[in-house]
Amino acid sequence: MATYLEFIQQNEERDGVRFSWNVWPSSRLEATRMVVPLACLLTPLKERPDLPPVQYEPVLCSRPTCKAILNPLCQVDYRAKLWACNFCFQRNQFPPAYAGISEVNQPAELMPQFSTIEYVIQRGAQSPLIFLYVVDTCLEEDDLQALKESLQMSLSLLPPDALVGLITFGRMVQVHELSCEGISKSYVFRGTKDLTAKQIQDMLGLTKPAMPMQPARPAQPQDQPFISSRFLQPVHKIDMNLTDLLGELQRDPWPVTQGKRPLRSTGVALSIAVGLLEGTFPNTGARIMLFTGGPPTQGPGMVVGDELKVPIRSWHDIEKDNARFMKKATKHYEMLANRTAANGHCIDIYACALDQTGLLEMKCCTNLTGGHMVMGDSFNTSLFKQTFQRIFSKDFNGNFRMAFGATLEVKTSRELKIAGAIGPCVSLNMRGPCVSENELGVGGTSQWKICGLDPTSTLGIYFEVVNQHNAPVPQGGRGAIQFVTHYQHSSTQRRIRVTTIARNWADAQSQLKHIEAAFDQEAAAVLMARLGVFRTESEEGPDVLRWLDRQLIRLCQKFGQYNKEDPTSFRLSDSFSLYPQFMFHLRRSPFLQVFNNSPDESSYYRHHFARQDLTQSLIMIQPILYSYSFHGPPEPVLLDSSSILADRILLMDTFFQIVIYLGETIAQWRKAGYQDMPEYENFKHLLQAPLDDAQEILQARFPMPRYINTEHGGSQARFLLSKVNPSQTHNNLYAWGQETGAPILTDDVSLQVFMDHLKKLAVSSAC
Amino acid sequence: MSPLGSWSRVFTAPPSVSAQPSNLESARQPALLGACLSALPVPAPEVTCCPAGRAEVEMAERYVKPGNKERGWNDPPQFSYGLQTQAGGPKRTPLTKRVAPPQDGLPRVPTSEMSPGAPAVGHLPPSSKASRPPLGGSCPPSSMEPTQCSVVELEILLEDVLSPLERALEDCRGHTKKQVCDDINRRLALLQEQWAGGKLSVPVKKRMALLVQELSSHQWDAADDIHRSLMVDHVTEVSQWMVGVKRLIAEKRSLSSEEEANEGKSTAAAEQNQTLPGIPHTP
Repeated sequence: MATYLEFIQQNEERDGVRFSWNVWPSSRLEATRMVVPLACLLTPLKERPDLPPVQYEPVLCSRPTCKAILNPLCQVDYRAKLWACNFCFQRNQFPPAYAGISEVNQPAELMPQFSTIEYVIQRGAQSPLIFLYVVDTCLEEDDLQALKESLQMSLSLLPPDALVGLITFGRMVQVHELSCEGISKSYVFRGTKDLTAKQIQDMLGLTKPAMPMQPARPAQPQDQPFISSRFLQPVHKIDMNLTDLLGELQRDPWPVTQGKRPLRSTGVALSIAVGLLEGTFPNTGARIMLFTGGPPTQGPGMVVGDELKVPIRSWHDIEKDNARFMKKATKHYEMLANRTAANGHCIDIYACALDQTGLLEMKCCTNLTGGHMVMGDSFNTSLFKQTFQRIFSKDFNGNFRMAFGATLEVKTSRELKIAGAIGPCVSLNMRGPCVSENELGVGGTSQWKICGLDPTSTLGIYFEVVNQHNAPVPQGGRGAIQFVTHYQHSSTQRRIRVTTIARNWADAQSQLKHIEAAFDQEAAAVLMARLGVFRTESEEGPDVLRWLDRQLIRLCQKFGQYNKEDPTSFRLSDSFSLYPQFMFHLRRSPFLQVFNNSPDESSYYRHHFARQDLTQSLIMIQPILYSYSFHGPPEPVLLDSSSILADRILLMDTFFQIVIYLGETIAQWRKAGYQDMPEYENFKHLLQAPLDDAQEILQARFPMPRYINTEHGGSQARFLLSKVNPSQTHNNLYAWGQETGAPILTDDVSLQVFMDHLKKLAVSSAC
Repeated sequence: MSPLGSWSRVFTAPPSVSAQPSNLESARQPALLGACLSALPVPAPEVTCCPAGRAEVEMAERYVKPGNKERGWNDPPQFSYGLQTQAGGPKRTPLTKRVAPPQDGLPRVPTSEMSPGAPAVGHLPPSSKASRPPLGGSCPPSSMEPTQCSVVELEILLEDVLSPLERALEDCRGHTKKQVCDDINRRLALLQEQWAGGKLSVPVKKRMALLVQELSSHQWDAADDIHRSLMVDHVTEVSQWMVGVKRLIAEKRSLSSEEEANEGKSTAAAEQNQTLPGIPHTP
């Protein structure tokens, strides 16, 4: 079905959207029997170099409960200058500016190729972007030095008119006044006492005019930013002083006795940062960037005590209900995250330490606000430095790849309702006629807020077909959905991106083949995986796995071809053939398994899984494996132990790690130095090819992955061995002399066994 | 078939590896990348070529150096500013393909083309005599060490960099607040001190020479970009004084645009609003 693959790819490129089903079952009952819900992955700000924004505002449907935006699916009466809304069928007059409209003179938003269009809003004051650095000073000397340099470097990457501020913390929290005069001042807060937003604003003097010498402050909106001028200043004004200030930062001076952790007031520092922005720049694009090198150890939000002999909580402790501070800390950070989201700001966390830093408790700060979460071993690593640089990367137009304060609104035609969304967003609690009672993800609303996003940020949006079983296929034969994203562009403009899509309805009884052929198994796998990962927040791991298994079995029962009770007859059509394999690898992935991961690592992996686009998410579920050998060009191979052969080099991409693995023979050749002999130059090229491909991945990936260069027998080969399907294990080695590939020492179930069970269950009439 | 036999098949048909333009062929031309990944233990291969031409410095700005394995577990390599910001370039097809598992559920037939069970030791990689590219072809130079002679040849003098900067600062006096000028001056002094003290590396000096050239010819964006590349690639060396140079570029730019405005030469082209075809009006 090359045509459907092309259709899917085209739609993704143009509209940034991938649906699980591209032909929709026309009744509620049939839709539930499809097992995989009707849903889509939406990348609201997908990069579109070929789509310049239009410099006017969208035309809205006049029905107050609809307000859909004029789009190519609307019927237009050019003579009467009327258009009919394709969602509510309201007839609308065109505004006066459209008087010249005709069949041959159409505005862009009516042309089919502009199913996605972006409007620039000219109204409203533009305010600069804001970056507030919150810096942990309880770091080792060379870590602090590296961090200071990265921060100094960032001043060169920021837009010159961006506002920047600095808060440092250790045992105390210091809010630094930034001034061009020589003397640096700061406000010092105790790290043990939580303060309300009001108290923080009073103490920082944010509630009254900043400088008493400037009385009678006129109530002009332009003046408002200067209230905070002592703490947030334009980069181009204070870059020299801030460079010095950063350069002079010292490690937290409070002595740390042996056997103790440094006292780190992360909770209060974040609270002050949130309060500072809340009081000065509500509803303006702002990033709070938290750089921390260890867990919070005092005050509100503490995750572990300062006694080193008491280790930070593990999954084991959490299961045994033995994580003393977890609930309280989580509550503190959730409160901060919700306030931040309400203000339209986002929080990034850059946590660099060898031990855990409390990402489990703090994860809501990034997950609810669309901020970045970066986890590294040290600030003095290329992993941190380059990841941090890439925050400030620019697109083809020279604009920063970041956007702020977005609201995503979804409108549907009457046969559909919105069940929910999963991604870096919070609900705006907008109930309405198109909101379903049944929630999937964050539901009960047709609008979500995404405080920080970039061109790859992707949400899973879930729908429910509500058309009744006996009702005919809805009028027009097509269902429609409109996605409206209001956001602040990095150029500080307000913009609206509108995507309107439509898909055919089909009667699932007579036209099941059509529906089946239009199944997007990649999108479906990611959408189901997001549901599974979302469930891990509230359910036990084994329950989530059981739920996923159950869905997979039902899907195979519905769409497999088989004779009852005959597993050998089971077949899946091309459009479903990869799906069970995706589910198999998902079950083994760190998104659902916590074994061998700390709670922080799990939070980190799940954070990235819930926001990346389809391609990256799929790499996370089932890593990519390529083989390089003398037998032909590089080719993708099965993620299977049988692919590990002596005469191959393998390149594996798991999203978080890039692994290059030399097979036994290749490794011996390299050791013998053949690559340095002129007559074996092609061997040198063979060694180089995966390095070049890895480099290309490394250059594009955010966050920077770890990079593992290993060979047969190397200890780091475990990264490869733990990801491949263990089709050969120590238990099932074939007769001597016939083994190929690498046996994996595991008792894990292989894909073959998994599939055998799946077939048995699918064809069984007992299910 | 003997192992050698299987190799000789490949040996006689070397194009099976090299004739694939999509991947391996392009792997033959990594010259653009300067150096390969951290697999090569080359410390910061900053190439210094003989004439301090712009092109050479640009090439030198595109390099990869190993990550910090001491501090970071499997730290990835570090890409220079030039590599990070280079426009897309000819991207190879992304490696995102997958293979569907066989549906019969049977264990897979071994795909190794080596004879099973044969000891691997003693095999030789296929020789590439037949397909060896001509010497001096597209292969990258194996040694990244800067040649001593070239460094001596193009010694960049402190005055050549510092005096244009100081002149630029003098131009700004009167236009820019005294305190800011003093601050810039302090940083230029720091630059002088570090340069004279031999604390600055050759690549930094070279790029500073280029920056000054751009500044003198009023190429503000280019100068600013060189400043950014220095901050990203050599922050440890330059962070304390570079911000003064950055400010100087900004002040000089605003001064010159003010002068231009005064001369009545409004160069501001009418803002060309980007609009889509076929739009009748902009309401």
